Amino acid sequence: MPRAIGREDLERMLRSAARQVLEGRAELSRLDSFGGDGDHGTTMARAMQSVLAALDAAPAAGVNDLLRSAGWAIMGCDGGAAGPLFGSFFLACAEGAAGETLDAAALARACEAGLAGVKKNTRARLGDKTLLDALEPAVSALRAAADSGTEVLAALERAAGAAAEGARASARLRARFGRAKNLGERSVGQPDPGAASVALIFRGFLLGGQSDG
Amino acid sequence: MNKFLNDPAHLVPELLEGFALAHAGTVRLTGSRLVTRARGKPADKVALVTLGGSGHEPALSGYVGEGMLDVSVPGEIFAAPGPPRVLEALRLANRPAGVLLVVLNHEGDVLSSNVALELAQKEGLKVRSVLTREDISAGTRADPAERRGLVGCLLVFKMAGAAAEAGRSLEQCLEVAEGVERNMATLAVAVSPATHPATGQPISTLAAGEMVIGMGQHGEAGGGSRRLLSADETADIMVEALVQDLGLASGEEALALVNGAGATTLMEQYIVLRRVRRSLEERGIRLARALAGSFLTVQEMGGFQLCLCRMNRERLALWDAPCHTPALSIR
Repeated sequence: MPRAIGREDLERMLRSAARQVLEGRAELSRLDSFGGDGDHGTTMARAMQSVLAALDAAPAAGVNDLLRSAGWAIMGCDGGAAGPLFGSFFLACAEGAAGETLDAAALARACEAGLAGVKKNTRARLGDKTLLDALEPAVSALRAAADSGTEVLAALERAAGAAAEGARASARLRARFGRAKNLGERSVGQPDPGAASVALIFRGFLLGGQSDG
Repeated sequence: MNKFLNDPAHLVPELLEGFALAHAGTVRLTGSRLVTRARGKPADKVALVTLGGSGHEPALSGYVGEGMLDVSVPGEIFAAPGPPRVLEALRLANRPAGVLLVVLNHEGDVLSSNVALELAQKEGLKVRSVLTREDISAGTRADPAERRGLVGCLLVFKMAGAAAEAGRSLEQCLEVAEGVERNMATLAVAVSPATHPATGQPISTLAAGEMVIGMGQHGEAGGGSRRLLSADETADIMVEALVQDLGLASGEEALALVNGAGATTLMEQYIVLRRVRRSLEERGIRLARALAGSFLTVQEMGGFQLCLCRMNRERLALWDAPCHTPALSIR
């Protein structure tokens, strides 16, 4: 892995993220069965299959084209709320991704733009037991690592760790958004499935980044 | 799971294929699984479009047809369609008279619509939208964001659809839709869970002899469960809550819609409806129009939704206007 993520690296990372989600689909659906209708894994698997199909169909020119194509694929998968939320993350990442390659600082900028894109589409905020409880810590970790001069792969490792920790910690939260909010106090005890998906995606990014293709 | 299914991944295209066959004279499939009228209506009349997850048959595509919807965008099972297909539907329906998009307040539907509406506006399409959120089990009039869109959407399709058919402008159709939306309220009760047809898992848990008032359209857990009550006791509780919410007063008149969730029989729905009338009359409220049936289901969920709508002369005329769709016909 070079000091910056190129087009091929990013494609490998996206494919790896898709693989993580596809492998985790049963667990994601199980987590969703506590407060939702138990199909988050099915939905996310469909979204990631769309991403893989889009990557297979059209070779993207640059890193931002890759992110845009992934975002549109997710948006188009008829994925309830998850589709537009995860889709808007990748689409907004694409807007924030300048240049041919992404070093730690550029990756942090792109992901910050992605996070802002998600927040534009939901009234949920940190602590509401949604995907933001993994995404926001991951992006903050990425930013902190980039600001301290960490190279991109190590920065990604911290982001993946923060996402996993955020997803785990979301078990303690009380749902205030999505269908699970109707559970109130009874939503405490299980991680949020959207946050768990974010953790899988960042884990996939890291594993894809670490492998040399 | 005791369901006649094939590969769960093909559920939606397969059900739509059969739906289009069963109602070939009324609807057809076009583009990326959009449902449109078999015979379109003139471009000088406003078009109505809606979107929503599948698995709720006959909703929502069952209301495409003369006097109601022009296009529906069916999503995956219990999951909203993505913005690209909603945009495709808006382009398909776009016309000089304009398009009214009816959105049920569920996170996915709202997100997809917002993204699609933003893109449609950039393209110069003439589109307005109305959000239905009449479920009184969560949220209040003061904080309507929490209120979900339940079976009341069908009243909006019917009355705004009649206004469109009569040649009223987009602004006037929107006004009718918003008027219906403000004057309707729905409450749901569940007695047995539904199975998610793609995962095979129950989408809620309900013990025998229990019921939950306030359970959502997808079996989302709602208010607390309680001992199963009789039809009359249940109807009385629901009427009281709905009348309170709407502020219906003695001397007013209302439409009542009893919507079976899937497993609750028409027999039970009729028994409930008869008590609804009595309960309204005890409060001096006249039952102006009534209907019972499975209009928006959740697979084999047991339970029903009761929707009341305050009626006036204009809404009565719009309700009585003819319509012919796969799931509702008025002559």
